[in-house]
Amino acid sequence: MKSTRYRFAKTVLAGTVLSAAAGMANASALSGDLVMINWLGGAQGEMMQKLEDDFVAKNPDVNFRNIVPQATGDARGGIRQVILGGEQADLLINTWPAFRQELVDADLLLPVDDVWQENGLDEVLSGAWRDLSVIDGSNYGVTYTFGDRSGIWYRTDTLEKAGISAEPETWDEFKATFAPLLENDITPMSVPAKVWAHAEWFESLLIRVAGVETATKLANHEIPWTDDAVKTALRKWQELLQANCCDEPNTMLATDWDNSVDAALKTGDSAYVLMGMWLNTRANQEYGETPGEDYTIMQFPALGMGHDDTSMVDAKELNLLSTVKNKEAATAFMVYLLSADATAIMTEYGLASPSANADTSLYDPVIAKSVEEVSNAKSLQFVLGDLLPGDLGGEYRVQLQKFLQDPSDETIDAVTAALEKVAADAYP
Amino acid sequence: MAMSTSTDAGAADLPRVAQDPANARVSALLASAARRTPMGDTPAAWLLLLPLLLFFLVSVVYPLIETIRLSFYDIRGLGKPTYVGLQNYFKLFSDDNFTTAMIATVKWTLTSTFVSVAIGWMLAMLCSLSPGRTLPFRVMIFAAYGVSEAVSGFMWLGIYRPDVGLLNALLGSVGLDAWQNPWLGDPSTALWAVIAAYVWTQVGLPLMTCFASIQAIPKNLFEAAYVDGAKPYSMLRHIVMPLSLPGVRVAIFINLLSSLKAFDLIFILTSGGPVRSTETVGYFMYRESMQNFKLGYGAASTVILLLGVLLVSIPVIIKRTEAAR
Repeated sequence: MKSTRYRFAKTVLAGTVLSAAAGMANASALSGDLVMINWLGGAQGEMMQKLEDDFVAKNPDVNFRNIVPQATGDARGGIRQVILGGEQADLLINTWPAFRQELVDADLLLPVDDVWQENGLDEVLSGAWRDLSVIDGSNYGVTYTFGDRSGIWYRTDTLEKAGISAEPETWDEFKATFAPLLENDITPMSVPAKVWAHAEWFESLLIRVAGVETATKLANHEIPWTDDAVKTALRKWQELLQANCCDEPNTMLATDWDNSVDAALKTGDSAYVLMGMWLNTRANQEYGETPGEDYTIMQFPALGMGHDDTSMVDAKELNLLSTVKNKEAATAFMVYLLSADATAIMTEYGLASPSANADTSLYDPVIAKSVEEVSNAKSLQFVLGDLLPGDLGGEYRVQLQKFLQDPSDETIDAVTAALEKVAADAYP
Repeated sequence: MAMSTSTDAGAADLPRVAQDPANARVSALLASAARRTPMGDTPAAWLLLLPLLLFFLVSVVYPLIETIRLSFYDIRGLGKPTYVGLQNYFKLFSDDNFTTAMIATVKWTLTSTFVSVAIGWMLAMLCSLSPGRTLPFRVMIFAAYGVSEAVSGFMWLGIYRPDVGLLNALLGSVGLDAWQNPWLGDPSTALWAVIAAYVWTQVGLPLMTCFASIQAIPKNLFEAAYVDGAKPYSMLRHIVMPLSLPGVRVAIFINLLSSLKAFDLIFILTSGGPVRSTETVGYFMYRESMQNFKLGYGAASTVILLLGVLLVSIPVIIKRTEAAR
């Protein structure tokens, strides 16, 4: 009897202590609404939902809410509508450096230097990722994923069918693969020029022809669009078109990015496609293909013009909006996205994380290869189209459509002159 | 005892109502109403219209004034607006893209209105030969008018796809391989391809308005013509066509206004491309305002589009109002 009472007293005491501890823990636990402007769709949208669910499971008093802007293609217009419409959000998913600058200029973003310091993010993200989000000495973002945009995607059985046993490494080797592919009724390159994705080839060519510094200067309009570097990059693309790389121009202009990716990575009607890392998510999650076996990625062929150690990258970051109401939960979510648990979810969806907490052993062969390419590159360039002001970005894609219709030297002169005319008025 | 609530009759019935003690309160109210000056028709009409007018002011007039005000500002992205007077308008008329959009709008509006009304009118005349039997057919055609343009857009995307599209497959199956084309990627065919899809969505309305007009033609006219020995073509030419014109006019007016504002189908099918060949003023306005977020410049193009709509609609409204008088 005594021992039973003793056990009971111990249980009560232990329960009281645990309750008190839980109470203290609750006092410091996150709670309240956390609102994020989230424009991600498809498998990436699913991934973000899974990340949010995991965050909420760890912080059950947080009510996560997404504001989904109306968006097709470039989501910036929809995000601006949401912000101007008076929505009170805490966080924004952003992938456009030019848009970050626009938000900072309009006092709509808060610096996150304190988040960085308080959470020791210097240990988790390298200085290069921090510098990516720095404007006038203040840091405005936490990058949670990145992708290799100079990686060319292909199905392994497509190249096998054409008798191509090794990945082409040089420009000439790359062009030499076109003939066997065409003989097997395979279009060598799938270029979706309906809206935006045709700019990818030009951008990788530009950094390989003239280097990252030139691309940065062009993005800031410190050199004109009529510069020789731009014309040389277009002439390199002209070489591909003259080598029958692609469908006829009007077919390219009628093709959207998703159909193009289907042609290269699903049906094998085309061989190569150049786009972002979300193709890994699409091929893996939506087509059910095995990365590294059914499809893989190779680095852009070397041009031998002195800039082959460069790569184009994209990245997604979280920004803290000045309308933030739940800064504690917002910053906690920023930090959570760099945690081992979050990076494991991203890996599951085929995306790479810049976080030191990421377990690289979980990476599939395609992510591992793309991360290696980015790590080996001596200099990186952010996607040019995302660095341009809105109206120049739109004109840039239209002028490249004109180039695809008639890739002659005269068109190159006309297209670059037209872009320079718009650029002259596009910068504040 | 019947009790009228009209002012005059109510006053006349007052003494009788007052005789009933149970109706004392009602009679007091009516007496009070009778002492007041009766409201004339015009003030009463304004009073009844007031809620609607207030709603109109908030939802139409205020946004309109705000759009005109915005058109005098240079606004880039989320930056602060700068007053520039009429500069946006001057810039608009020297902008090659706007000129291209104006030309595309004229082609789009006239062609889609003419073709959809012509087809709708012709189908209405055919359907009027046997109204009962053609009911399912009319319902099906009108259903296309009721379907959202976004939904129709996705259907037509499938039809026009260059690789596995229905149209190219049909052409191939009948040996017209040479006619196969990336319809939405070819700048010379893209606008016409989108117009064809738009006409498909718009035929239902002219069909219904013209059919209603034809059904309203008195039967004795046909009987008299038949007795006079008129042939079917003559009846069509001299009775059906002229007397169904009111329905045609309504269809032209509505389709013209709809086509001036058309946006959804262009957005889904081509996003204004390729190389801006399908960009109408409505799409130009969207691109400048919502994609480039140059709200002032976009607002200036909205004002121009509004003027176009008013130019079409005001003469028609004036004419219809005079006819009603």
